[in-house]
Amino acid sequence: MSNKGQIWVLLTAIALSAGIARPQDPNGQRGVINFAQPILSDPLLQHSKEIFILNGCVYCHGVDLVVRNGEAADLLHSNLVGQDQNGNLIGPLLRAGIPQTPKLSPMPQFSDLSDSEIADIVRWIHYARQQGRYKEAMEAKDSPRGDAAAGKAYFQQKCASCHSTEGAFSKIGTKYSESELKAQILRPKFVEAPKTLKIDQPRDAKLEAGRPRHLSLLENYTPGDVNNLMAFLQSQK
Amino acid sequence: MKLTRRDFNKVAVGAVSSLGAMSPPGVANAAPRLAANISTIDGVRFGLQPYCYHDVPMNRENRPILIERMVENKLDIVELHTTWCEPSFSGPGVSAQEARKKLRDWRVSTPDSYYQKIKQEFSDAGIEIFTSWVNFGIREGDETTDEEIDAAFRAAKALGCKGIVGSYGLAFAHRLIPYPEKYGVFAGLHNHDNLSDPDAFSNEESFVKGLAISPDFKATLDVRHFTAGNGDCLAFLQKHHERTSTVHMGDRRRNNGHSTPFGQGDAPIIQILQMIRDNKWPIVVLLEFEHGTLRTGVEEVQIAYDYCKRALA
Repeated sequence: MSNKGQIWVLLTAIALSAGIARPQDPNGQRGVINFAQPILSDPLLQHSKEIFILNGCVYCHGVDLVVRNGEAADLLHSNLVGQDQNGNLIGPLLRAGIPQTPKLSPMPQFSDLSDSEIADIVRWIHYARQQGRYKEAMEAKDSPRGDAAAGKAYFQQKCASCHSTEGAFSKIGTKYSESELKAQILRPKFVEAPKTLKIDQPRDAKLEAGRPRHLSLLENYTPGDVNNLMAFLQSQK
Repeated sequence: MKLTRRDFNKVAVGAVSSLGAMSPPGVANAAPRLAANISTIDGVRFGLQPYCYHDVPMNRENRPILIERMVENKLDIVELHTTWCEPSFSGPGVSAQEARKKLRDWRVSTPDSYYQKIKQEFSDAGIEIFTSWVNFGIREGDETTDEEIDAAFRAAKALGCKGIVGSYGLAFAHRLIPYPEKYGVFAGLHNHDNLSDPDAFSNEESFVKGLAISPDFKATLDVRHFTAGNGDCLAFLQKHHERTSTVHMGDRRRNNGHSTPFGQGDAPIIQILQMIRDNKWPIVVLLEFEHGTLRTGVEEVQIAYDYCKRALA
């Protein structure tokens, strides 16, 4: 066989090898979960996620708080988590554990964790709940139209201490599309602004107070709350 | 460039050989087979509770991964959850009750040949399926019928199991009485540490009650949970080793403490292994842990297994 022929056969063999090679999954591991991924851009949040993993919380509660077995508490929708402020409820529960109930397996006690580890776990739970609740609300299909009057009452109760329907909100119904408005209700842009530890940075006390307030609302909105608020704010034209 | 025949043959053979390593789509590479008795260390048989591979969802699609990993960890005996064999009927628009009914119907109607093929997959890799872990429904709305219990034992028999195990309690255990003799497969009683539940297997007293129900019942002593419930594993084995088929070996802290890496909790792992070895008890040691890790399941199982091997050195 000539050299040209040899090269042709060689290249054909290589091409055949590549062509019928078993396709690889993007992560190279079919069905395997890497709980630590994706690596978050905020190192403190990534660390908090890893502490949540290292204490075995993910095996029952899921790294994204979607329950992996049917017997763990649903932290994504738990009232206790929704009412928790900086670990004042979650912390004691972690340290004490929970005995078995008719519906839930017993949860071990973590009395030996440091305050810092507890704070990390609490931080991750709240972050994951915010992410999960946002996703649920944004992806909700066939949402019924809200009640603008109920939305107004909700606004008066939960929002009016900082916001007014005069000024910036007076024409908010024309400023955003429906999905943009929903996203802004659930998680206003300022909430995502990177924080700094620079000590001489001027601080806006109102924004600093608003951030945890909005995140707490995000963790506790019902679908009805969101639909009603939407209806009310969309009427502001 | 002038290729000599030798150069050509070398490269061509290499390229064609790679075809053997890269199977056609849909055909798994043939897994290597474990040598006989590879995970019997100084007379103690080690195996795996696949829950250890926390990073691999326990479903039948991932069964090849389970086999590959057990070969990698060189563990030749397994307690196989039924989820590794059964389809999932859950999904969008499917209620929990509908999914449960479909699963029940599937279990009752699936022939032995289905399970025999699964047994062959493991056998081809040199792995024995020791027990079948069955999540019998014991809660309201999730009840298990007698037909389903019968199907579970039949499936275990077809898989080549010596027994079935589950997280049922005393009341449910009574319903299992006829089946071990019918199928030649024991019923295993597995404990947790919920000491407040009188129905649960948790301490020695509860095991004694359970084992008294039938001579075909055996204890699957979960060392972690027994320790977390402040039980004495060594005293239990001294008294009840003849009725103990298995230990689930892991570590936890006492007083309902959390799971830990081996050696960092309160379970007397080293003493348990030495006791099994020195007395030549035919108790299978299945590694099982629940502590968190950033390592892969394979790496973490290896660390636990190596700890156990050092205990017998």
